Amino acid sequence: MLEISGLTRRFGDVTAVDGVSFDVRDGALTGFVGGNGAGKTTTMRMVMGVLGRHAGEVRWQGRPITATDQRRFGYMPEERGLYPKQRVLDQLVYLGQLKGMSATAARRGAQAHLERFGLADRTTARLEELSLGNQQRVQVVAALLHDPVALVLDEPFSGLDPTAVDSMADLLREHAASGVPVLFSSHQLDLVERLCDRLVILARGRVVASGDAEELRSGGPVRYRLTLEHDAGWVRDVPGLHVVDVDGRHALVEVLDPGAEQAVLRAASARGAVLEFTPVRPALSDIYREVAA
Amino acid sequence: MATTHAPADPTNAGLPAPPEARDGHAPWALVARREVVVKLTDRAFVLGTVVTLVVIAGFMGWQAWSAGQATTYTVAATAADRPMVERVSAEAGDLDDTVAVEIGDVPDAAAARAAVSDGEADAWLHRADDGWVLTTDREEQGSLTAVVRQVVRQAALEQQASGLGTTVEQLEAGGAVTTTLLSGDAERAGLAAGVAFAFAFLFYIATLTFGITLANSVVEEKQSRIVEIIATSIPVRQLLVGKIVGNSMLAVTQMVLFAGVGLLGLSLTPYSALVPAVSGPVVWFLVFFVAGFAALWAVAGALASRTEEIQSTSTPLTMLVLAVFFGSLFLDGTAKLVASYIPPFSAVLMPTRLLEGTAQWWEAVLALGLLLAAAGAVVTVAERLYRRSLLQTSGKLSVRQAWSAPE
Repeated sequence: MLEISGLTRRFGDVTAVDGVSFDVRDGALTGFVGGNGAGKTTTMRMVMGVLGRHAGEVRWQGRPITATDQRRFGYMPEERGLYPKQRVLDQLVYLGQLKGMSATAARRGAQAHLERFGLADRTTARLEELSLGNQQRVQVVAALLHDPVALVLDEPFSGLDPTAVDSMADLLREHAASGVPVLFSSHQLDLVERLCDRLVILARGRVVASGDAEELRSGGPVRYRLTLEHDAGWVRDVPGLHVVDVDGRHALVEVLDPGAEQAVLRAASARGAVLEFTPVRPALSDIYREVAA
Repeated sequence: MATTHAPADPTNAGLPAPPEARDGHAPWALVARREVVVKLTDRAFVLGTVVTLVVIAGFMGWQAWSAGQATTYTVAATAADRPMVERVSAEAGDLDDTVAVEIGDVPDAAAARAAVSDGEADAWLHRADDGWVLTTDREEQGSLTAVVRQVVRQAALEQQASGLGTTVEQLEAGGAVTTTLLSGDAERAGLAAGVAFAFAFLFYIATLTFGITLANSVVEEKQSRIVEIIATSIPVRQLLVGKIVGNSMLAVTQMVLFAGVGLLGLSLTPYSALVPAVSGPVVWFLVFFVAGFAALWAVAGALASRTEEIQSTSTPLTMLVLAVFFGSLFLDGTAKLVASYIPPFSAVLMPTRLLEGTAQWWEAVLALGLLLAAAGAVVTVAERLYRRSLLQTSGKLSVRQAWSAPE
């Protein structure tokens, strides 16, 4: 498990990351969400040791993290690039060797991953000859090549086409399923919602929400959608409810006092047929907007 | 598609990877090897090296060929003056093997002038009231003039000697002056001056060329933004050392090739006797060159984040290299002695002193030690600057900013 506690980083007078704490658990996909400038990249750089920290601690398997641990992580930085003029396979083997692999193992690993991403026939091409999307795939391979013990990926999905997004999502799930903790940041909330077991939401350098995706949702507002036979305007008069929207026979209500939804249902049945009465699970984007506001 | 990912073994997840896990290679050796391999497969690099070699070989070949060639001058003469020109023609080869003289017969002075001004003859030799005159068109023909002067003087001496009833040899007896040097020999001193200039010039050109290459190479990771991936794989110092070692190896290989072709060429020219005397100092020069230049330029690369900024971050170094160039040309006496120990001046001045024969081997070793120590210090500084400007992938840093930047 990767434990991050009280991480703080200042740039001049600006505190980019301010006492950030959260856990990345073994075998779980943890999504790292936040707007531009929220401090995601700075936090990840501190976790990987490329940026010094002004306060706080990163622990790996219960003890302070070392450079040797970090070397065994798979890291995909936000500002990513490879050697544009070097051949794809050659530079992957080189990067694998720097990570401590033998040349043979690195070659084998690189070829297997390239094949998986449909790049088996481009191994001898120079990187710059590849399309941007394919370069991005090579990046992913560079991060996963050495069977990392943890993954820290900064915006791994940006720039990928839908097919590659699916391959990438599968890969992340596989790594998590093998017991590896996976932390990744993303702007694409729908993707995070689909993939993540756990969620950390960052705003202005602080963690504003974190935990199980389900927990976070259940902590959000409880809403019901109501479709009636007749006009639904009367719901405005029911106490303990906040009416989000009324449109003819449809209404979306938020429960303020627990039990108010049952009162509404009874009142509706008394007035005529109830065609629909459904609890509405808040989308991640709703939660995000709420906590990050 | 079947998964190709082998699950990580969580039981050994916390164990540090042993250093020998890198296939027996230290990280800096891997970096250096990549530098060399990438450069050797770079068409521009290989082509540039080959072209330079061809130019050197061509220049040497031309020197060797032209050294064996004599220039033939046509000297116009009227019938009265013909015997003197015949004598010049006969003796020219012995006096100067680059001069050959042909006789161009002309009927009179006017025809001779016309022949010279038309370019049919290179010169016109004729008798005047109190001697001889060599008339040429626009410029004096130096080598020809010297030959003619000697022949005419000899002829005049012989004539007057026989008029006095004696010989030229008797007249000149006891009047010859020869020179000897107490230390060294004249040929070596002249050679030292020439080769010292060559060293200074070669150092200047080579440090600029290879220095810019090295600085570009150091900046490469930042420019292509791969630096974060590498910095999480190996210590930054290993990256920097690997880059310096790899590029220096390439630079030295190129220099050895150039110097080798140059020395080989020299052995084919009339100066072939100089080759043994020059070879030793050339080796010293190469050693000093490696130690001297490489580390300095790493700083220039460390400070810039894009290739375009190399120019401005390396300006102080360009100045320093210029100072070394002029220093090695103009320093003399005690100043030269002192500077031959001071890096980076020692890189040129110590090999020069060795060539002159004014430095002992231990002096060279001492100067080399100082130079290596300075290079080590510079690498340490460069590493700190590089580490601190690591995530600065836009814009250049001043030394002060980079030094004090938080990590």
